[in-house]
This record gives sequence, C-alpha cells and structure tokens, in this order.
Amino acid sequence: MTMSRRTTLGLFAGVAGMLAVPAAALADGPVYLGYQLPLTGNTAQYGQDFKTAAEIALKDFNASGKLKVPVEIIFEDSRSDAKEGVAIARKFVDDKRIVAALGDFTSTVSMAAAQVYQRAGMAQLSQTASHPDYAKISEWQFRNITTQAQEGVYNADWMTQNGLKKIAVIAEQTDWGQSVVKDFAEQVKANGGEVVFTEFFNRGLPDFRSIITKIERAKPDAIYTGFFYEDGAQFLKQMKQLNVETPVYSTSAAYNQKLVELAGPAAEGLFLTVTFLPNSESENVKTFVDEWKAARGGAEPGQFPAQAYDAVNIMLEAVARAYPDVSRQNVRDELAKTTDFPGVTGVTSFDENGEALKQLTKATVTDGQFVPVK
Amino acid sequence: MSKDLITSAVLKIAILAVLFAALPALLAYLGQGYLYQVVMLALIFSLLAVSLQLVTGIAGLLHLGHAAFYGVGAYIAALAGADYGIGFTLGLPLAGLGAAAIAFVVALPTMRLVSIYFAVATLGIGQMIFLVLQNWVEVTKGPNGVMLFTGIDLFGYTVDSELGTYFVVATIVCASIWVIHRLSHSYYGNALRSLREDDQCADAMGIDTVRLKIEAFMISSFFAGIAGALWAYTTGYISPMDFDFSESILILAMVVVGGLGSIPGAVIGALLLILLPEALRGVGDIRNIIVGFVLFFSILFLPKGLFGEVPALNFIRRQFGSAWQDNPDKQKVGWK
Repeated sequence: MTMSRRTTLGLFAGVAGMLAVPAAALADGPVYLGYQLPLTGNTAQYGQDFKTAAEIALKDFNASGKLKVPVEIIFEDSRSDAKEGVAIARKFVDDKRIVAALGDFTSTVSMAAAQVYQRAGMAQLSQTASHPDYAKISEWQFRNITTQAQEGVYNADWMTQNGLKKIAVIAEQTDWGQSVVKDFAEQVKANGGEVVFTEFFNRGLPDFRSIITKIERAKPDAIYTGFFYEDGAQFLKQMKQLNVETPVYSTSAAYNQKLVELAGPAAEGLFLTVTFLPNSESENVKTFVDEWKAARGGAEPGQFPAQAYDAVNIMLEAVARAYPDVSRQNVRDELAKTTDFPGVTGVTSFDENGEALKQLTKATVTDGQFVPVK
Repeated sequence: MSKDLITSAVLKIAILAVLFAALPALLAYLGQGYLYQVVMLALIFSLLAVSLQLVTGIAGLLHLGHAAFYGVGAYIAALAGADYGIGFTLGLPLAGLGAAAIAFVVALPTMRLVSIYFAVATLGIGQMIFLVLQNWVEVTKGPNGVMLFTGIDLFGYTVDSELGTYFVVATIVCASIWVIHRLSHSYYGNALRSLREDDQCADAMGIDTVRLKIEAFMISSFFAGIAGALWAYTTGYISPMDFDFSESILILAMVVVGGLGSIPGAVIGALLLILLPEALRGVGDIRNIIVGFVLFFSILFLPKGLFGEVPALNFIRRQFGSAWQDNPDKQKVGWK
C-alpha cells in the first residue's frame, strides 16, 4: 500500500477537492508567463540584463498584433539561490494563469526548479542553464544555449582543419566546464588528435601561471579553454606575460566585449565560436541592438541578454501558435516544434530532448574587435 | 506544581496541535505547493539553526562552517538514494551519522583551539568540505550535482503527496529539536554553558571540556546532516552551491538574531529569515534591503536576540515544567 495523496488526504476529506488542478488559461484574458531570474544578489547583473531583454521582446510582440490578447510576464527574483528558485517554481505552478516558465540563470537553480516543473507539467525554457543533463530531465525542459555536445565537436573539427593535433584543455570546475572538456576531448580523439593535458580550475582563480607552465611542458599545438570572460582575461594576460604564443581557442562563453577591455592586447588572436555578434548586418540583430542601446544608455548587449531575448521570443511564438488553446500542455508541444527560429543568436531549432541547435560562427579578436573568421 | 504541569501540558499540546493539525489543515485547504515549500524550508532551517545553537550559542564556539555538515548529510542521502538504492529510511540516519563522523575527525585537532582561532578553523573546515564536494568528481559528481528521483519511502510506504511529505519533515524536525531541547535544558546543557563562560574554570571543576566540545560538535553536525537529507529529498536536486559559505552565515544570522543560547530564539530567527524574504516578494528588488534593515534594527535594539537566553531559560523552566523546587520560598532552579 502506498500513502498516496488521496489516502493521506482522507483525514481531510472535506478539503481534498481543493487540490484538483485544471490548468487552462482563459482564451480572452491576457496570457501569463513566469520568468524566474536573479534580480538581486551576486549574479544580479545577469538577471537585470535578462529582464531588460525580456521587456524589449515582450513590448515588440504585443505591439505586433500576432496575438489578439496581450501577453504578460511575471518576474520573480531567485537571487541564484536554489531555495528561492524552488519556491518560485512552486509559485508559478500554483498560479493557474501561468502557462509556461522561463529561467533560471544558473544550472543549480534551474535544475532544482526543473524537478517542480517536471512534476507539475509546465514547460521551462532557460536561456543559460548549461548543465549537460538539464534538458534530459523531462520533456518539459528546454534551453536556448548551445551545449558543448554541439560546440565542443564544432571546435574540435575547426582545430583539426587548422592542422592542430596535440591539444591542451583547461576549463573551470563547474558542470559546464566538465562538459566542455568531455565533449571536446571525445571529438579530438575521433579526429585522430590527442589531448595532452587536462586541468580544471576554480572560478575566479587569480593566478594561472602554474597552469600555463604545466601546459607548456606538455608542448601542445593549441590550447582549448572553457572559461567566462573574467577568467579568460586573466588567463590571456598571464599567457602574454609569460611570452607563451600557443594559439588559444575558446567557447561562446568567453564572448564579451569586456574580455577585450580587461585583457587589452593580450586578447588579440583569440579564436572562439559565437552565436551572436552585435555588429552583425542582419536586420533582427540591428533592431535588438538599437532597442537595447535605447534602454541601456548606449551600452552594447552581450551574448547572454541576446540568448534571453531569443528565449522569450521563442516562447512567445509558441504561445501564439498554441492560441486559442493556451494550455500548459499545448504550449509545451508548440515549443517543442520550434524549428529554424530566426533569432539574434542564430537560427535555432529544438531537438527531441529540448536542446537548442544553433548556427555557430567562427570568430577571432582583431584590433580589439570580435570579427568573423572567413 | 500541578498548576505548572497543566500549563506545561497545554503549551506542549498547543505546539503539537499547530504543527500537526492546524498548519497541515490550512496547507491542505489552500492546496498550494508554494506554501508547502516555504513551510518545509522554514522547518528545515529551524533544525539547522537549533543545531548550530547547541555549538555556538550554548557551548560558545563560533562555528562558521555549519553549512558544510548540512551539505555532507545532503550528499550522503542523495548519493545513497541515487546510486546505491538506499532509501530514505536508512539514508536519513546514515546522513546524520556520516556528518557526525566527519565532525569527529575534524574536531579532534581543532577542539583545543579557543575563540577566534576556533572560528577560523571552522571557516577552513567549511571551505575544505565545500571544495571536496565541488572537486571530487568521481564520488560527489562535482559541480554537476546529484539528482534524486526517488521520493521519500518510509519502511516500505512511499510518501508522494505534499501533505505526507510535510508530516514526515515536521515529525523529524520536531523530534530532532526536542532532542536538542532536552540536551541543552539539562545539567548537560549547563556544563556546555560553563564552557562558554569560562572553560578553564570548568576544567578546574572537573568537567572534561575537550570531550564535551567534541560531543556538542558531533551532535550538532548529526542534526545538520539530518536537515541536509530532508533538503535533498524535498528538492530532488542538490549541488555544492547549496552549501557554500553564505549558507553558513545565513544560519549563523538566524542564531544571532533569534538570541544566542536560546533554543526557541533559534527557531524564531529561522522563521524570520526564511519567511520574511518570501513574504516581501511583492515589494520587488528592495526586499533584501528591508530584510537587512530588520536584521540591523533587531540587533541594535535587541542585542541579546528576539528571544534572548535568559527569558528563554525562564520560559522553558516555567512552561515546560523542567524546573525542580527544593525550597518553596526560593526561585526555582535546576532541571528535572
């Protein structure tokens, strides 16, 4: 015998009916989405960026008249804290008006909240959760960030094409860093190359010199790196100080104008894959960048806000397709059907697991600018 | 005496009635997963705060790494459940014992340290355990964290409803706090307080101070481990980031705001610091500032805590009938 909801509630038979959950939004009122993100705390700068991006996307969508009813987004602050993230997920799931959720920022919080969305049956689309198992949790999880299963393989092939065989790999000690190394190393081996050195470092490491020395002892043809721009700038500066000229390849996580500002000339010649270039010629990127600059006093948007902008738009398109039957199930099904969505971070489709497949662009730093590699 | 017994019984029954009848009835009536989540979180943190109170408030050892033992418990429960098929029934005590065992090992060299040196040592221990959880990928899965899909199973019964989970958490937290209450409101608790006041003097009086400190540290870690197992089972996913230094500070803040040395104070502190940020969700981004102000002013105006040690001890003696009386004319002292 299991102590199911019903038997436990037998004690409280009078109130048992309250737990029944019919989840269909009214077809004539506004459609609501939930967005959980860190608006305060250590990672607030990212969450505030996502909020601005979401507001731009939402304003344009509601003005476009694609949907007869307006869409509204309810923002909740998670502080990048799993405790709060789970409580918010529960709150969204309880709110019968909300048909789908966006967020969270970090993998830890997204994964913890995912357990709630999975149980309740509500689609969750994260713009940044990079944990290798995130989208595999259930059919309800989606993300709008390239995984290393795609990016690592792409980079390994790129390096093979450039004739680089012996490669040293370093990555930050996070779930994402783990996947950077794993997926890349497998493809290098498959291409007949060799990973001669692997090391993980903890985020915010101030001194990379001992790692750089160890890398040099292994005599690699190139270095593949899994870091964000803060660590990247430190690493590149110290490479320069030690006069190490081995070419460095990196992922789209390193893509940020701040990398060039912090590392200065040391960033020159860095190779990396990107999905979003704010100086791109395409029409939708220009629109987004202009609106962002207007909202943010002239600053350029980075990779993450662009991903958030696309995530919100992908979700809004799914809602529009689901209309007038905007149930949680229907929105999830329409979200899963997303193919060739023309976003600012490249053409995006979801595979059967809810992983984003994106067009990647090869880029390098020349004269303090990120430019595409021909 | 009989009047005391009646008031004591009424209060105990009132607390149990709220925890096991009124509150769950209200939760079931409202039927919101969000409220269940917040209430269970408040319960888990009450246990964490009370367990830290034993070491920091009562034995007077400033402990800056409590979240690490909470993490050890969570990891033992989650890994046992996810990888070895050891369910909640066995995983829960294992989590507590594992945390206590690690506490024993790290306590041996550190317990002869005093005051700020001990605090820095616990800071180091907390960071070491955090980094082990983060970097020992083969065992802890490192930053990938652990997903625990099995729900709570209790001697073969699977508890999958919100209400059932609430009852399990409330029962375990209640029983654990009761144990710590009995330990601290007794001659054993008095011995711990004597360490805090003057451990050399306590030593001279024949109290084995090092042994007592190690015991208090282990008991505290045991219950932190239990709280960790409850967190792992109620969220289904844990990662090292849940147990970093800021979590230790949060628990310490609960203890200090509630009142150092006061068990009911620790519970009040935990309720305040978990429920207030959630209750203020409506006011937007400034809610953290408001929480900060509340903490600041509560320390400014009530430096001994919202429910300080002296009133708490008097309250426990009077209301829980724990005091004995040797002379009817004098104030009641001692413990039953």
